[in-house]
Amino acid sequence: MVTFQRTQVVGAEFLDEHTIRFNGIQEDHIYGMEISMKVRIDDGTILQIQGHMKRYTNFVCPQAISVLPKAVGLSLREAEWDKQVMREIGRKGCEHLAEIIIECGRCLDSAILSRDLARALKENPDLRQEEFLNSRKR
Amino acid sequence: MTLQFLRNKVIEVEPRPDGDLSVSWRLTDDLLKAEIQLIVQPPELEIIEAEARLERYPPLSCRDASNLIKKVEGVSIGSGLRKILAGLLGGTVGCSILMDAVLESSNAVILHFTRPGIEAGETVADPDKKLAALRERLKTNPRLVRSCIAFQDESPIMAGLNL
Repeated sequence: MVTFQRTQVVGAEFLDEHTIRFNGIQEDHIYGMEISMKVRIDDGTILQIQGHMKRYTNFVCPQAISVLPKAVGLSLREAEWDKQVMREIGRKGCEHLAEIIIECGRCLDSAILSRDLARALKENPDLRQEEFLNSRKR
Repeated sequence: MTLQFLRNKVIEVEPRPDGDLSVSWRLTDDLLKAEIQLIVQPPELEIIEAEARLERYPPLSCRDASNLIKKVEGVSIGSGLRKILAGLLGGTVGCSILMDAVLESSNAVILHFTRPGIEAGETVADPDKKLAALRERLKTNPRLVRSCIAFQDESPIMAGLNL
């Protein structure tokens, strides 16, 4: 039987042309947590963040929520942004909240690309999707 | 509001009858469908088999994923893994998707071993005994010290431990 399983789900909403909101959920046999964060598309800056810890392993863990504001102002386009998230939110707070932020951050470029591809397909249903995607830097 | 992008990822660890661990990592989103499969052999936690399949629209740097993943065969899960994988799968000619997948799979293997201890701790009802058990775990796992808010110096769990 499966002895450990983890599921991560990240959804991306475009609130307007400049702002995206990620909702990330991580459920596994040990931990259960969620992150909602708004990001400025132009420079990848985290504008707002909220978290919810549902399942954790000791009574101090929930205090990690108070560390989340440290993520505001951090840019998902800076070099080694993921290491910074793990250092500031993971080590000073909770590594599992940091894991969700990192997965949301990894989705930024893909979400923009996906939106742009959907728009391009509306304009031109015959568009070659692979060519469109390969023409974009990724 | 409808979603413009949705990603689902599932990682599973399943012991095999021969004692090896089968690890499955799968990701699907609007642009990518990716899967890696590792066989990990205890006690060294050596990755003895690795396979990868990336479909839909993987980045060009990951098109050779099924060959690239073979580089991790022989690597053991343990300290220094991140650096080793960065050397094997990272950089301009590497595939960050594979690197992250192997790291997350390795983390799942560690959590597979961690889970029974956490479950045993949950059967302890007395808060003082629970705290004592946590402190004992810290003494035997020095890597946990200052790894998160619960194990920072100012945490009540750390009080009087001098670790």
